[in-house]
Amino acid sequence: MDLKSLKQKISELKSDSSESITLCRDKESLDKTYKSYLGKSGQVNSLLKSLGDLPNENRREAGKLLNDLKSDIENLYKIKISEISKAANELKLANQKIDVGLPSVYQEDGSVHPVTKTIDEISSFFESIGFEIESGPEIETDYYNFEALNVPEDHPAKDMHDTFYLKDSGLLRTHTSPVQIRTMENKSPPHRIICPGKVYRKDSDLTHTPMFHQIEGLVVEEGASFAQLKGLLNDFLQDFFGREVELRFRPSYFPFTEPSAEADIRWEQNWLEVLGCGMVHPNVLEMVGVDTKKYSGFAFGLGVERMAMLKYDIPDLRLFFENDYRFLKQF
Amino acid sequence: MQFSRNWLKDFIDLNLSTEDICSQLTMAGIEVDGYDVFNSKLTGKDSVIKLDITPNRGDCFSVYGVARELAVINDLKLKKPASSGIESSFKEDIKIKVCPEAPRYVGRSLKNIDLKAETLPLIAERLILSDQKLIDPVVDVTNYILLELGQPLHAFDREKLEGNISVRKAKKDERLTLLDDQKINLSEDCLVISDDLKAIALAGIMGGKNTCVTHSSKSIFLESAFFQPSAVRGRARRFGFQTDASIRFERGVDYEIQELAIERASAILHETLGGEFGQITESKLTNSLPKPKKVSLDLNKANRLLGTNITSKTAKKYFTGLGMNPNNKSRKLDISSPSWRYDIEIEADLVEELARLEGYDTLPILPLEPKATRNRESKDSMISTSLVSQGFNAVINYSFISEEDEIVFGESKKMIELENPISQNMKYMRSSLFPGLINAFIHNLNNGLESQKLFEIGSVFNKKTNKLTEKNRVSGLVYGNSSANHWLDKPKKVTFYDVKGVVEKVLSSFDLEINFESKSFEFFHPGISSGVFDGSKIIGYLGAVSPTILEDLGLKQDVFLFSLDIDALKIRPINKFKNFSKFPSIQRDLSFVVDKAVTGQELSSLINAKAGKYIKTASIFDVYEGKGIEANKKSIGFTLIWQSSKNTLLDSEIDKVVELIVNSVKKELGGYLRN
Repeated sequence: MDLKSLKQKISELKSDSSESITLCRDKESLDKTYKSYLGKSGQVNSLLKSLGDLPNENRREAGKLLNDLKSDIENLYKIKISEISKAANELKLANQKIDVGLPSVYQEDGSVHPVTKTIDEISSFFESIGFEIESGPEIETDYYNFEALNVPEDHPAKDMHDTFYLKDSGLLRTHTSPVQIRTMENKSPPHRIICPGKVYRKDSDLTHTPMFHQIEGLVVEEGASFAQLKGLLNDFLQDFFGREVELRFRPSYFPFTEPSAEADIRWEQNWLEVLGCGMVHPNVLEMVGVDTKKYSGFAFGLGVERMAMLKYDIPDLRLFFENDYRFLKQF
Repeated sequence: MQFSRNWLKDFIDLNLSTEDICSQLTMAGIEVDGYDVFNSKLTGKDSVIKLDITPNRGDCFSVYGVARELAVINDLKLKKPASSGIESSFKEDIKIKVCPEAPRYVGRSLKNIDLKAETLPLIAERLILSDQKLIDPVVDVTNYILLELGQPLHAFDREKLEGNISVRKAKKDERLTLLDDQKINLSEDCLVISDDLKAIALAGIMGGKNTCVTHSSKSIFLESAFFQPSAVRGRARRFGFQTDASIRFERGVDYEIQELAIERASAILHETLGGEFGQITESKLTNSLPKPKKVSLDLNKANRLLGTNITSKTAKKYFTGLGMNPNNKSRKLDISSPSWRYDIEIEADLVEELARLEGYDTLPILPLEPKATRNRESKDSMISTSLVSQGFNAVINYSFISEEDEIVFGESKKMIELENPISQNMKYMRSSLFPGLINAFIHNLNNGLESQKLFEIGSVFNKKTNKLTEKNRVSGLVYGNSSANHWLDKPKKVTFYDVKGVVEKVLSSFDLEINFESKSFEFFHPGISSGVFDGSKIIGYLGAVSPTILEDLGLKQDVFLFSLDIDALKIRPINKFKNFSKFPSIQRDLSFVVDKAVTGQELSSLINAKAGKYIKTASIFDVYEGKGIEANKKSIGFTLIWQSSKNTLLDSEIDKVVELIVNSVKKELGGYLRN
C-alpha cells in the first residue's frame, strides 16, 4: 500500500466510523462498533500493522495520521457513550416518577385550649410593658377573697359573688384578686402584675359556668392615675382584637376600687361589658401596708372565656368545657 | 328594680327620650338592663325602665332616688313628694319603744277603713309596671311608697296587737311565722318588732302572720321605721330569702324620710279607703341615728388622680346638686354626706362623684409607660408546647368531680367536699385529673374518634392530716393508634413505650435525674405501670388503665394515662457549651441471654458500671424471646460505643472491657453472651 491509498483509506475510515458511531443507540452496539475500529483486530489496528509496508520516509506522516484517526474515534466514542448513558439514566429516572399528590407523612400538632391561648395572648401584651405574672391558690380563705378586699362579713356586695364553700372551711376563690393581696403582702411596691387563673361562682346557665377563668391586673406606682388606667385598657383592647375598637368607660361598683368603672366595647350595634376596673380602694392598700401618701394604684379584671368568645366568634360558653375534638382542634 | 318612666315626672320636668334617660343613668353608674315601651291609658306614652342597682347605691332603689340622680345630671330642680297632711282625729295610745339598732320608728293608726275598696288606678298601674302583684289597698300602698321613696312600710292589723310596740333583739329559741307562712327560728342577733306578748315582725324584712292585715281588718297600724343596715344585713339570706324591704335596709335607707313616707301613705290611703287617722307618733334615739359624714377633698389631688382640671366652682356645683353642702376651707373642699348616701366615707368616694358627674368618658387618657420584665417561660407553657408538638390536645375540665370518680381515681381517701355543690356530680374537689380526661375521651369516642391524645394542666386538691393542699399537675391520656392511618404504613397500636416516650420528652426540658421503676396503682394494670422518679423521689406515674376499670367503661382496647407533678419539676439552668471529642469511636454489639425476670434497666446499669471510663452510650437495640432461646429466658441486645477525648482507642483495650462486662453479667445476673 502506498501513502496515497492509505490516506484515502484513513479518510474513508474517518467518515465511516463517525457515521456508524453516531448511529449507535446503546452501549452494546457502540462497544461493538468501537471494537470494529479500535479493537485488536479492528480496522485501525490492521492499518497500523501495515505501516511497515510503507517506505521509511512516509511512515512518520502515516503514523501521525493514524493516531489522529484513533483519537478522533475515541473522542467520538466518549461523547457517544455519555450521550447514551445520559439517555439511559433519563429513561430510568423517568420510570421512577412518584405521585407527589399522595398524602404526606405529617406529624400533626395537637392543640392549645382556646382559654389558655387567650390567656397567653393577653399575658404577652402585659408582659411586654412590664407586668409580672403571679398566681395563687384556688382554695382561699374568707380573708383573702373578701375581707382584705374591703368586703366585710354580711355585706350585700357578697351577693355579687355566689361563693362555693368547703365543708372543711375555706372557699373557692370567686376572683383572682386574692393573688393581688398576697403579692402586695410579700413584695414591696411598685407593682405591675397580672394574675390569670380559675375562679368559681355558684352559677350555671346558658351564660354562666360554675368555673371560669379570669385575668386581673394591678398597678401600684407613684402617680398611678385613672388616666393611665384608661390608656392602658385602651391599648390592651386594640392589641387583643388586632384592630380599632370603640371603648367606653362608665361608673360601676366594686368594694375594692374607688372610683370604680366598667369598660364596654362597641360590638356591632351594642355596647358589651368586657372589663371591670378602678383605682384601688385606699382601705385595700392600707390593709397590706402600702403607703397611700406615696403610692396610688389601679386594678382591672376580665373574664377570659368572654374575651375568647368575642375574638374567635365562639357562640356558646359551654363549648369550653365539653372538650370536644371538633372544637379543640380549631385552636 | 323596674318602674314606669312617667312616674319620674312626679319629681322632675325631664324632656328626654327613654333612650336618653337610660344612657344618662348608665353613664352615671346606674346600670340599665333595658326598657320596654308601654302605652298607658292613664298617662299616655310610657316605658318600663329596668335597673340593676349596685350595692353601694341603695339611694337609687326608688323612683324618687332615680329622679334625684337625673336632676343632678341635668341640673334640674327636684320636686319634693307631695304630702298634704291628713289631719288626725284621735290620739295614739300605742307606745313605741326603740333601740339603737332601730333608732327611729314612726307609726300611725287608721280606723274604720274599708278594705274592700279598690286601689287607685294610677297606683295599680305603676305597681303592675314595677312587677308588683296587687294584694289589697293597704299592702298596695305600702309597696307603692317603697318603690316611690325607697322606704319600706309595714301595716299591722291593729286589733291583733296586744299592748305596746317595741323593737328588740329576738330571744333565744324564739319562733315566728312570717306572712308567707314560713316558720323561722330566731337567733339573738335578729331584730324583731314585738308587742307586749309576742314577736310580730322580723324587723326590716317581713311581717308576722299573727298580726297581718286581712280583708276583714277594720283598723291598721302603719310602721315606717329606720333600721341600721348592720341589724338587717345577712339575716334574710340566713333564712334563704330576700325581700324588697331587706334589700333596701341592708344597703341603707334615708334615715330622715320616715315621717314623709307615712304622710305620703296616709294621703293615698285617705283617698282610697277613707277612715279616721290617728296622730303620727315618732320614737327615736337621736344619738344612734347615723350622722352626716364629714369628708374633705383635696381638689388638686383629685385632678392629679383623674388627670383633669376641674375647678373649685364646678366641684361645688356638683356637690351642691348631690346634696352634700360643700364648703371651701383653705385649699380643701369640705362636704357632708346626705342622709340617703351610705357610700360617701372617704376622699376617694368624692373623687368618684366628681368623675361620675364629669363623665368617665370625657376624662383624659394617658399611656402607661413600658417597663422591663424578667419573666421566663412558665413550666406550664413549656410542658404544653412539648405535648402539643407531640400531637396532644389540651382540655379543661371542671375542678368538681363526682363521688364515684373520686373513689376510683382519687389519690387520698380523704375527700374534699363542697358545702354547697351545684349538683351531686360536682360535689367534690378533684384529687386527680384522670376522671376529667376519661370523660372527655369517652365523649369524643362516642363521636367516633378512635385515636386520641389528650392532656390537661390544672390544680388537684388533697387533704393531708386535715390540711388542704393544692398541686399543679399535668396529666394525659393516649388511646388507639400511635400514628394516623396512612397509605405508606400500617397503623400501630399505642404501647406503654409510646407513652413513656411522651413523658421523657416532656421531662427533657427540666433538670432531673429521671428513672422509671415498676410501681402498682389501683387504677393501673398491675404489670403495665411505672412510677416516674427524679432520683429517688416520685414525681409522677404512667400506665395502662386497669382491666377492671376498662370493663366498667365498656372498653376493649388499652387506655394509657400519665401524670406528672409540675411543682416537682426544676427548670434547667442555662446550657453551657461542652467540648466534644475529635477521635474516632469504637462500637460493639453484645446480646445477652438472661432470665425473664431480669430487667433491661438492671442489665443496663451493670453494663454501664463495668464499661470503663470511655463508655459514651449503651443502648438497647433488641429484646427477644422465643425460638432459639430457652423458655424462661430472653435476649437483650446492646449497642455500646466508646470514645476518648484524648486519643484513639485500641481494639485491645475494648476487648478487655467487653470481657469484664461478660464476666460480670455471668456472675451477677447469671447471663451469657448469645453467640
